[in-house]
Amino acid sequence: MELQLQYFLLLAAALFCIGIYGLITSRNAVRVLMSIELLLNAVNLNLIGFSNFLDPVAIKGQVFAVFVLTVAAAEAAVGLAIILAIYRNRETIDMEQFNLLKW
Amino acid sequence: MTHLFSQTVWLVPCYALIGAILAIPWSPGFIRRTGPRPAGYVSIFMTLLAFLHSLLALKEVWHQAPEYLSFSWLHAAGLNITLDLEVSAVTVGAAALITGLNLLTQIYAIAYLEMDWGWARFYSLVALFEAGMCLLVLCNSLFFSYVVLEILTLGTYLIVGMWYNQPLVVTGARDAFLTKRVGDLVLLMAVVALLPIAGTWNYTELAQWAQTANLDPKVATFLTLALIAGPIAKCAQFPLHLWLDEAMEGPYPATILRNTVIVETGAWVLIKLQPVLQLSPVASQVIIWVGAVTAIGASLISIAQIDIKRVLSYLVSAYMGLVFIAVGTGQTQTALILIFTYTIAMSLLVMSTGGIVLNNISQNLTQYGGLWSRRPISGICLLVGAGSLVALPPLGNFWALVEMGDFLWKTQPVLFGVLLAVNGLCAFSLARLFGLMFGGKPTDITLRSPEGLWLLVLPMVGVMGFTLHVPLLLLQWQLLPDLSTLNPSVIFLLVFLTLDGFALGSIVYLNENWQKPVRFGPQFLQDFFAYDLYTEKLYKVTIVLLVGIVSKAVYWFDRFIVDGFVNLVGLATVLGGQSLRYNISGQTQFYVLSILLGVSLLLFAIAVPLLNLSF
Repeated sequence: MELQLQYFLLLAAALFCIGIYGLITSRNAVRVLMSIELLLNAVNLNLIGFSNFLDPVAIKGQVFAVFVLTVAAAEAAVGLAIILAIYRNRETIDMEQFNLLKW
Repeated sequence: MTHLFSQTVWLVPCYALIGAILAIPWSPGFIRRTGPRPAGYVSIFMTLLAFLHSLLALKEVWHQAPEYLSFSWLHAAGLNITLDLEVSAVTVGAAALITGLNLLTQIYAIAYLEMDWGWARFYSLVALFEAGMCLLVLCNSLFFSYVVLEILTLGTYLIVGMWYNQPLVVTGARDAFLTKRVGDLVLLMAVVALLPIAGTWNYTELAQWAQTANLDPKVATFLTLALIAGPIAKCAQFPLHLWLDEAMEGPYPATILRNTVIVETGAWVLIKLQPVLQLSPVASQVIIWVGAVTAIGASLISIAQIDIKRVLSYLVSAYMGLVFIAVGTGQTQTALILIFTYTIAMSLLVMSTGGIVLNNISQNLTQYGGLWSRRPISGICLLVGAGSLVALPPLGNFWALVEMGDFLWKTQPVLFGVLLAVNGLCAFSLARLFGLMFGGKPTDITLRSPEGLWLLVLPMVGVMGFTLHVPLLLLQWQLLPDLSTLNPSVIFLLVFLTLDGFALGSIVYLNENWQKPVRFGPQFLQDFFAYDLYTEKLYKVTIVLLVGIVSKAVYWFDRFIVDGFVNLVGLATVLGGQSLRYNISGQTQFYVLSILLGVSLLLFAIAVPLLNLSF
């Protein structure tokens, strides 16, 4: 069995789905951030897969992946800081407690 | 200058109308200090003017060909409505009769309404009636006849409802208005339908048109049936007769007018329309049989009444039934004479009983008796009125009835039988009225019964004098039938039945030994006639019930279906808002899910056309 682009894409899609599932269902805010990281990793898998199979010469996808990693790190830093800020006020990181807009 | 009065005969209704308006300020709410009497005097003065004017006009148009006056009332595109007046001996004579009777009635009312404060209302309404009736007899246009009939229907409502603090008055006025209104509305259908067919509303032109008209028999039948519906209600014919019974709750002086001239407004229109009614044989039959059934039924009902006014009101229906028979068989001339003689006789009857009711309070015949020695003038007036109402030579109605009987004898013997029966029954009813009131021993309420004020007696005696002169007047006007050409057996039978009725009534009711209250036949039959064939119940279980159910159903439909549907839209919106807000769950992750779903659906929608799906 030869490695094909489709497998990468399917793996990335599966990872994306798992990330979405975690993003929607997690009650812990940190797990939500972790799920976002999964999503971004799924995206990176796509980018690298495409650059490997479709653009092996210029490999622009890999450059994009480096940027995504950078921005993901920055986003995680900001995200954790926001969660910390909320925790200091609300004394909890349960997502279902953050419902100021409830009807 | 020779025709000054006949050319200005249109002033006759105007006098009365001015009188009606001038009487209003003496309503208790406007002139508070001086009492209501001037209202009556003003109205009487204006009536006197109208009476003199019509008499002078009558003198001018006597033996003259009819003149026609025309005023344009409305001119719209394609429709030209003119107020046509006919100035002939008949119309002006009718106006003189109306104003003369009004004059006497209004004088009578001065005495009758002595203890009443509502003179302004009474006199202005009576004057309104006078104006309406004068215009009705003068106008030569079906359209304006209808207009006047409607105004008089409203007038009836108001004048029957004069003493509106009495509950029976309120229901009586309601029934009088609605019943007459129904007839008028059906008449309106015919009036509206007649214009495109005949092209005119002028009676003279309608008569000319009817001679050569070639109508589809169905159209002619429906048209003529609708035309007679108005007079049926106006003349209190079966089955629209209950209103006249209930209208007896109104003031007595107004009853004089109602029983004589107001019910004849319908008969007048019927007579005027006779050429058109000839278009359909069905309509003639309907007129004849409505009249015949009413005449027989109402005279039987009249015998079974214990209320003085109602005894007379059913006789009104009966005699209007005879007029219907006359019109149905084509005897318009006889119908006019019958109306003339009947009017005089009936007004005398109502006037004479009114004076008695005024100072004996009760209208209940069973409580009366023994008035003859105390009230001779009223008694004589009642006798003269009774004699001249039935076929008793040489008094008034004899001539009209004999002429009518002779015609019916030759053409429709069954109807002659009806005429004989009605004549006999009416004679019996009148003898019963006289016997119960004037015969026998005085009762508690008649023990002290003085003759009325001179204002009450004067008009009554005046009418009596006129009644006695009616045959002479007819002779003078050459309106008497030629006795030599008439069938002697007709005369004999009519007079025999009259005398029979009088004799039988006298035997039963003037006889002290006859058990009172009198029992004829089975009790249920007596009750059947005493309760007016249960007409009130009949109305209640048929038309009133039907209209009541339909209106309730329509109300329910409006209230719950139509209104409910609109409310449902509002309610659904409110509920939608109330329930859809739960979409705002307050969960950040739910919002994220919504965004993701939205994005994926959008992408799917974009992608589907590109996928080139081919199955």
